[in-house]
Amino acid sequence: MTASVAVDLDVSTDRQGGTWAAVGRHMLRRPDVIIATAISVFFILVAALPGLFTRTDPQRCDISVAKLKPRGFGHPHPFGTDVSGCDVLAQLVHGARPSLLLAFTVVGASLIIGITLGLLSGFYLGWVDAVVSRLLEVFLVIPLLLAALLLLSLFRNIDAGDSDFATIVQPAIVLTGFGWMGYTRYVRAAVLESKNLDYVRAARALGASDLRLMFSHILPNAIAAVTALVPTAIAGVISAEAVLAFLGIGVRPPAISWGIMISTGAPWFTGGYPYLLLLPLGCLLATVLSFVVIGDNLRDALDPKLK
Amino acid sequence: MVSYVVRRVLLGLLTVFLVLLLLHLLTTLAIQLNGNPALAFFGDHVPSASQLHAVEVRYGLDDPCYDQPGNPCLRPFWERLAQYAHGDFGTDLQGRPLTELIAQAVPNTLRLFVIVTITWLIIGMMLGSVAARFRGRPIDHSIRLTSVLIDAFPVFVMLVVYRFIFTVPLTTWARRTFGSDSVPALLFKPSYSDSHPWLTLIVPGLLLGLTGCAPFLRLVRAAQLENYNAEHVRTARSKGLSNAHVTGYHIVRNSSVPVVTAVGFVFADALSGAVITEGVMNIRGMGNLLWQSVQKSDVSVVIGVVTILSVVTIGVMLLVDLAYAALDPRIRYD
Repeated sequence: MTASVAVDLDVSTDRQGGTWAAVGRHMLRRPDVIIATAISVFFILVAALPGLFTRTDPQRCDISVAKLKPRGFGHPHPFGTDVSGCDVLAQLVHGARPSLLLAFTVVGASLIIGITLGLLSGFYLGWVDAVVSRLLEVFLVIPLLLAALLLLSLFRNIDAGDSDFATIVQPAIVLTGFGWMGYTRYVRAAVLESKNLDYVRAARALGASDLRLMFSHILPNAIAAVTALVPTAIAGVISAEAVLAFLGIGVRPPAISWGIMISTGAPWFTGGYPYLLLLPLGCLLATVLSFVVIGDNLRDALDPKLK
Repeated sequence: MVSYVVRRVLLGLLTVFLVLLLLHLLTTLAIQLNGNPALAFFGDHVPSASQLHAVEVRYGLDDPCYDQPGNPCLRPFWERLAQYAHGDFGTDLQGRPLTELIAQAVPNTLRLFVIVTITWLIIGMMLGSVAARFRGRPIDHSIRLTSVLIDAFPVFVMLVVYRFIFTVPLTTWARRTFGSDSVPALLFKPSYSDSHPWLTLIVPGLLLGLTGCAPFLRLVRAAQLENYNAEHVRTARSKGLSNAHVTGYHIVRNSSVPVVTAVGFVFADALSGAVITEGVMNIRGMGNLLWQSVQKSDVSVVIGVVTILSVVTIGVMLLVDLAYAALDPRIRYD
């Protein structure tokens, strides 16, 4: 038995390695992918280690230095200050964290839920499939933003605390709750396609358990389709967070996020302070765009038919 | 075919019921954890116990289950369903019936949707067809790059940029050049105006349509590419049919079936976009109504509007499914 396990693993990693190496080669040939990866790595670094990029406390605002224009590096406020005298660079740097933390939490959680439900419904069919399909449709017909508006405003008085994670926990739950359906559909389709293939039947005949069949024989077939969705989903969550913050129901002050900065900075654009809108907007667009570019190329690499 | 339609309609009704149940459970939990929404009626001043009770009775919040966290509160749910079945959707906090509020809001949202759908179809079909026709050439690459760029611009960014950066100089310019009541001046007006519903909606609708057309464009391209390599197209070409004929009749027409169904899938997205658009541009539509009631904690209106919008979405998806079955003879009805 142990011998056959070893053989199985070898075969599967070998094949995966081949596919992924080809995908990697395809991605590395594209200059836009390299630039996009550099930008997203940069912003992930900013979110993880804000201390590297600014030493100013974004929450310490001095009204006497309000509305300073950007003066370049070397000045105490390189990107200027906003209406209440907060340092714009410090806010930009600290505003990256909630967006990215939220994006990775939501995508991670939706992946787990989506893959599990997709595997179960495709593998067992019958009533499990009926229940999952109903559930999928129920969540699919409630538009994400309507649900977020309803839930976040209903639960807005509940205080979860001040830690990094507590400020994003409510949007995270809502965005995950209405974000897992895509993965379930893809995984279910892939499971249906591959569960009657000869090698799966052979594994079943050898006495492999359901769990083993699902995870080491069937799931690898679905990974490609799901991986192509991930960067685009991250970009989607980042912009959804900005929308929610803009509407005042996502990450809330005193926590900082790019969406909040955009919504407070927008009215000042025509008043002579365009950088208050353009800087956070630029950061948001650069991040979203780089994840979208990665996702787009990943989709091409994994599905050469559409090239 | 008939049994297929009946089955789909029944499933659709089941989904409606489940959506209502889900919304009910979530709001109940929120009320239990969050405190009494009837207090919102009084705004800032503190009501006496009897006043509070009267308001609770009026909005159906007097059931003791709302004070017990974890209780699913099914009794008020059945009561509300019975009311809905009689066409009674309740009132807002000022006592105006919800049906009246919605009747005022719906036309604007529909206008917005008409503009959005036309934008989608025109831009998506045109650019998608061109990209598929010139696959791999520079024009294909630039269209694909555009679709990626569009993807990266969230709707609200477009609207904020338009509203705060472009409207002011554009309106000033248009007013100075054409007069303050001229068509261009109204076109670029930064907010919605009741007296010119179509004109003031065009630009917001175009922007919303533009942000939603990227997935559409890709779908058109993919669907047409599949047809370019299909055998019936090769046969048509080998018969000596002209290029225009083959493209028009054998490729574009054949590949429009999945495109039609995609309208259904992106409908829910468009609804989300409409909420933001109506919020940012002050359009008095469903989204704005929802947004205003969220601000005022007017729970009954929020539930009513979300319910109606979800039911509409289910209806649209159902129609699309049926259209798909009718359009594509390969679909089996079982």
